[in-house]
Amino acid sequence: MAVNLDRRRINAPSGGTLAPVFARTVKEPGYLQSLRPSRTRGPNEPRQIFLQTGIVPSASGSAYLEIPSASSPSKSTLIPPTSSLKIAASVQGPKPLPRSASFSPSLLLTTTVKFAPFATRHRRGYIRDSTERDLGVHVETALRGVMIGERWPKSGVEVVVTVLEGDENGWWGDVEGNGTGNGGGWGLLNVLAGCITVASAAIVDAGIDCVDMVSGGVAAIIRNPEAKDAKEKVMRILDPCPAEHQEIVAACAVGYLASRDEITEIWVKGDVGTDPDGLIEGATHAAVGSLSVLKEVLLEALEAKFQTQSADANGGLKRKQQDVQMTG
Amino acid sequence: MAPAQAAHVNLSPAELSFLRSSLSQTPPIRLDNTKGPRDFRSMRAEYDVLPGANGSARIALEDGTEALVGVKAEVEKSRWRPAAGQQESMLTVATGDVMMRDDNEEEDESKGKGQNAWIEMSVEIPGFRDDDPLPVFLAAMLTESLLASGALKDRLYINRRFHWKLYVDVLLLSPPLSYPLALLSMTAHLALLTSRLPALKSEKDEDPLFDDDWDASVPLYPKTGKSTSIAQADKPPVIILAMAVGPNIIFDPCKEELAVADAVLAIACANATSSTTGARIVSIRTIDPPSHLTPPGIPNSMNSATGGTVPASSAEALTQRELLADTGVWTPPRGGMKRDLISQIVKMAVETGGVAEEVIGALQAIEVG
Repeated sequence: MAVNLDRRRINAPSGGTLAPVFARTVKEPGYLQSLRPSRTRGPNEPRQIFLQTGIVPSASGSAYLEIPSASSPSKSTLIPPTSSLKIAASVQGPKPLPRSASFSPSLLLTTTVKFAPFATRHRRGYIRDSTERDLGVHVETALRGVMIGERWPKSGVEVVVTVLEGDENGWWGDVEGNGTGNGGGWGLLNVLAGCITVASAAIVDAGIDCVDMVSGGVAAIIRNPEAKDAKEKVMRILDPCPAEHQEIVAACAVGYLASRDEITEIWVKGDVGTDPDGLIEGATHAAVGSLSVLKEVLLEALEAKFQTQSADANGGLKRKQQDVQMTG
Repeated sequence: MAPAQAAHVNLSPAELSFLRSSLSQTPPIRLDNTKGPRDFRSMRAEYDVLPGANGSARIALEDGTEALVGVKAEVEKSRWRPAAGQQESMLTVATGDVMMRDDNEEEDESKGKGQNAWIEMSVEIPGFRDDDPLPVFLAAMLTESLLASGALKDRLYINRRFHWKLYVDVLLLSPPLSYPLALLSMTAHLALLTSRLPALKSEKDEDPLFDDDWDASVPLYPKTGKSTSIAQADKPPVIILAMAVGPNIIFDPCKEELAVADAVLAIACANATSSTTGARIVSIRTIDPPSHLTPPGIPNSMNSATGGTVPASSAEALTQRELLADTGVWTPPRGGMKRDLISQIVKMAVETGGVAEEVIGALQAIEVG
């Protein structure tokens, strides 16, 4: 650390700094809490998804997913109340393994998940840290079960997922890592589900044989101490936005194959109790929701591809004639 | 693009197919045929092996895999954070009017004050770099299950200015002969269960001063018999590995058994705080079974050496391969696991008298006896 220190400038404290505390949040006890966003969707209503395939021309397959922030930007504060999710994925391959690599009877899958340095409020470095590597393992598990790897011996495929904007782990007004009785890191589950969906779209775009389309979904159990109804005190919601909830008890992300009714990837964390079935079922419902978007988008992309192909077939002929005219 | 996977098993498709069919019988015949589907491999365990650590444990499995865990605690200065509860006292100090805070809530003060960063876990496996997927995945799962109940990190709170920082260093002493998650978690469980922190002598917000008598130290995980209303004492979580082969569920699979698994699940369980059930879940993760990377077998009908005909085109080869589903020729499993299978595995692990309760009880017995 000391070696890399810039000696010509006045450096920031080595431990980092705290965000400024504004007087109003301290003076008026209720003011800070009044800024907290609340969930306007129903408990079983996921956020809207934007998905597009074929955005990276040099890759064999690519996709971009965006879950826009539900709440409108407020005028009183600069910090957006809820976070949004923006993920790009590209697939390189299948391509032959280098000659130096040992023989592999099936397709070797490598997944890389990287947050952009500006993806979350907490800055990420340029080198992948342990959470990013951990996410990479999760995405790899989700995809490995879907791809029919034995059809490509001696070859490899790389899935590179870049998170441009990630869901936050909690609301900015809450002290980070200070939750009561849970592990935190709830935003990662949303990021994982998004990564699975977008990587799946990119793989289909690349034309790699799969048994089914995998899609990601998240469900959470939240505790709401202010609710009057006893039923609403602890409830299950689909596609949670961590900023909107004061206390998340447990959450679950799945990679779900809808037509086979199978789960390739499951990540449950928090105090689930003895029976996680309800939570897993909720997550699969959310996954089915994102699958409907995925199917629609892939169909559209396919139609567009055929249209351009037929247009190219006509256009190519014309161009040839023009070329002849030019040279002549 | 270099594969950084755990060492692959070198089994031929015929061996894999044989293993799979014997494991999917009822009852399954495991590689070690004296074991039932719920039996763990036998192990030797000891604790307090490192004199310089607050708690330590070593577990050796019969196949030679050995893990060592040391738990070390250090006093660290907490960074001051502006929190909602501290505002009033802070403001009064700022105006020059020094007011003592009402300290009757001292009992409950550590509740919810713990931070996730106070626990640091490192996993070292020979032959792997720190940033390889396997150690990172293992460390993430172990940390996640430790943090899932907030009770541990709250116990690390000393006062408003100081806290304990807990370093849990997990070392695998042998090369990973089987998937080491369950072993590492059990060793970490035993080490944490037997860790002790020096007794605090100073009060409230003073600079912490500790009793230098080690006999007076307090266990990190307090035993039962305190004035708490909780029926059972809080214990560290333990991770159980389970795999599914056909209709069978097998716990604590060895490396060869994992090579034919349809799906592998790691379930982190902590003991139930209310004594109604056996255990509660704190985390579940799927693990990519190594069977996805096994070589597919070639049936006699497609092999010219055994009197078959080699398919003329690759398209034909693909079609013939797909028709092999139930012929007993080894094909790597595809897809994931059914939902009811997951719930069945989880139920077997956490029910009263289930696997989790058994493991936690057995590790507790090591300390007692």
